[in-house]
Amino acid sequence: MSDITGYENEEPRIGVYICHCGSNIAGVIDPKEVVSFSEGLPGVVRATDTLYACADSGQKLIKEDIKKYNLNRVVVSACSVRMHEPTFRAAVAEAGLNPFLMEMANIREQCTWAHGHDPDGALKKAKDLTASAVAKATFLTPLDMITVPVTQKALVIGAGVAGISSALDLAEQGIETILVEKEPTIGGVMAQLNKTFPTMDCSI
Amino acid sequence: MVDAARQSKIDLRAYTEVERVEGFVGNFKVTLREKAKYVIADRCNGCGDCSSVCPIEVPNYFELNIAPRKAIYVPMSQSVPLIYSIDMDACIKCFKCVEACGPLEAIDFSQEDKLVTEDIGAIVVATGFSHFDPSVMEEYGYGKFPNVITSMEMERLNNSAGPTAGNLIRPSDNKNPQKLAFINCVGSRDKRFNEGCSNFCCMYSIKNAVLLKQMNPKVDITIYYMDIRTPSKGYEEFYDRARKMGIHFTQGRPSLITEDPETYNLYVHSEDIALGEVIEHEYDMIMLNTAAIPQPDQNEMSSVLNVAQSPGGWYMEYHPKLRPMDSPTDGIFFAGACQGPKDIPASVAQGSAAASRAGRILHSKEWEIEPTVAVVWPDRCVSADGKSCGLCSKACPYGAVDYAKGKAAEIITAKCHGCGACVAECPHDAITQLHFTDAQILAQMRALLAEEPHKKILAFRCHWCSYGGADLAGTSHFEYTANERGMRVMCSARMDSDFIYEAYRLGAGAVLYSGCHPQDCHYITGQLIGAKRAKRLSTIFERMQMTPGRFRIAWISAAEGDKYARVLNEMQAVLDNMPEEQLLEEIERLKPEVTKRLRRFPNVPGVQEAMDFSDTMVTAITTKESAA
Repeated sequence: MSDITGYENEEPRIGVYICHCGSNIAGVIDPKEVVSFSEGLPGVVRATDTLYACADSGQKLIKEDIKKYNLNRVVVSACSVRMHEPTFRAAVAEAGLNPFLMEMANIREQCTWAHGHDPDGALKKAKDLTASAVAKATFLTPLDMITVPVTQKALVIGAGVAGISSALDLAEQGIETILVEKEPTIGGVMAQLNKTFPTMDCSI
Repeated sequence: MVDAARQSKIDLRAYTEVERVEGFVGNFKVTLREKAKYVIADRCNGCGDCSSVCPIEVPNYFELNIAPRKAIYVPMSQSVPLIYSIDMDACIKCFKCVEACGPLEAIDFSQEDKLVTEDIGAIVVATGFSHFDPSVMEEYGYGKFPNVITSMEMERLNNSAGPTAGNLIRPSDNKNPQKLAFINCVGSRDKRFNEGCSNFCCMYSIKNAVLLKQMNPKVDITIYYMDIRTPSKGYEEFYDRARKMGIHFTQGRPSLITEDPETYNLYVHSEDIALGEVIEHEYDMIMLNTAAIPQPDQNEMSSVLNVAQSPGGWYMEYHPKLRPMDSPTDGIFFAGACQGPKDIPASVAQGSAAASRAGRILHSKEWEIEPTVAVVWPDRCVSADGKSCGLCSKACPYGAVDYAKGKAAEIITAKCHGCGACVAECPHDAITQLHFTDAQILAQMRALLAEEPHKKILAFRCHWCSYGGADLAGTSHFEYTANERGMRVMCSARMDSDFIYEAYRLGAGAVLYSGCHPQDCHYITGQLIGAKRAKRLSTIFERMQMTPGRFRIAWISAAEGDKYARVLNEMQAVLDNMPEEQLLEEIERLKPEVTKRLRRFPNVPGVQEAMDFSDTMVTAITTKESAA
């Protein structure tokens, strides 16, 4: 079960990318300081900054570096995982790396945007968050997405104007759709209205 | 409406409620409650003979209760489907309807609610909105003065299919009103009730005023408004047309409506902002444009669907700009006003948008989900040695643990949602969660607490809610202490006691234990497990006489950025109020106690490696930082 120990005996070769996000990050801290900090961290063989990591140029840099430096882990210090984790996972996958060997540090939403009043504190935090992502990256293991079957049937809850429109669009795409309405008639608030803007015609 | 009933691919289930939603994207199991109509749908031809003989009359909600309906009824003559139902609360069981129905034999008093289960791939939630009840605003006299009505009531009175066949009359004397006023923002943009703007009421009042003016150009109409908001295509032009028709617009929020008890005429007392004067005008009839509010059962539905709500109660979208139709749960989408007040064009557009989002899944035979599931090390599981345990199985919200004495527990991957509850609950560290292993988490914590740990606040957040709340704090630029150091796991159920003890062993100044509110949990009962553990920890730290506030529990939704910032600032204040020596002394005093409670063993796979690695990491960080 060595594949689930959380530690593979492969020497980590980590690339660290510090995003400026234009001035969103670089307006508060100097990304180059985080770069020079990262250079000395265990396993890090490449650290650099980039104006927009998510842009084509940023992704290209990461992909080229994976080959050039033979990277087996990537850390992107940029925005929230809720924002661009899929972007960077896809980028490293295109370069042949397992997408789960990429780790993000959130130095925008949870750092520079929240600590604009304290640039020194924000810089310290950005370094710590990057180190923490490097630490996690060291122990990452390659994983495969789980594939599940799809029941090709939709449920639309509520048959007001939004629900009816949704159900019709789904049905016209050929999808079996159950349209549920809690009242005895469909139509919702719209059915109670007299004429409606801008056509000023009957709403039913 | 009619199209929806005619479309062969639409299976229309009216008078049906969603009782339970289980499963995950592509594989939802939905339980529907088909409420008893006491009428056999296949036999009812909608003739209405039953209704005409029914002796019972009750208020018809569809007509805003200003007109009656029978106990056996359809809400309106154009009902879709046109199938009658019996309101059993009103029915006196005279069975006249049965007689009237005759040979069709469509009426069946023995019907009961039916629970049916459906396999569903994706769900669009379009549950709409409700109306604010203005009777709580005593200053407007709604419910007391007969001629103060809501615009929705006017809508029915002015509707040719409504109770007066479109003849707008005043309730006090059935006369046609000649001088009318609309009041906007009733219960909306009002800190006492609903802070938000209801979005469509400006256009709604203009539309109603134009319709009335078209029917009778002599009628005198005033709209009282705070601001007129007409931002969409053609809206400003429509507003302009209304002004040219002679409809008066007065900027000012009326403070009081009084009534002449003789004539039942009404007086609006307001400020006219343009004139800078207090004004008082007499009207025959007044229409209140009430706020759009969430449905009364929206909290309940939010629990059924496992989706979060924004402040104000509307459903919370995954991302306000980039994924406005998506709920945070893969495979569930929002459309229309359930996500926030919207007018008809926006609701129709959202219906299509949600269909398109759901279509991505429904047109696929397979869908990919994250592999962040739990895995058992069979050699560490005591159950294999014949000992009773089963805590993993008890903790699992999905029944995904195959547990039996005499064999090692096993996780059924297809059922596992990856909350990590079983991982943290296992007393023998025999389970791990992929992508959130103990080794990974411990290594992260060590890096975050490498330097001056006593000044730091280690914040554990669940992915879906409190991590989202922290994101929103940043997006909203709510500033909070930069001493916070965030850790992310999928659910608070994964926040192992060991992580918290380890944080204090490493000298953390404070630790935050945060996740979703109980009703918002992405993992059904994950938060309850996390909350129970957090409470236990809290008692232990209290007994250790840890300074209150150094361990904080907070349930923060993805919509509560302000709360995240506030909680962190309050925690910083706790540290600021302690002299540094006192804090350091307390940390040292408690170290042996928390170490004693740590049950992580170096022989848990990966942990020893993580510890060794962390020593190198800490040295690297401290060297780098002292050089800087």
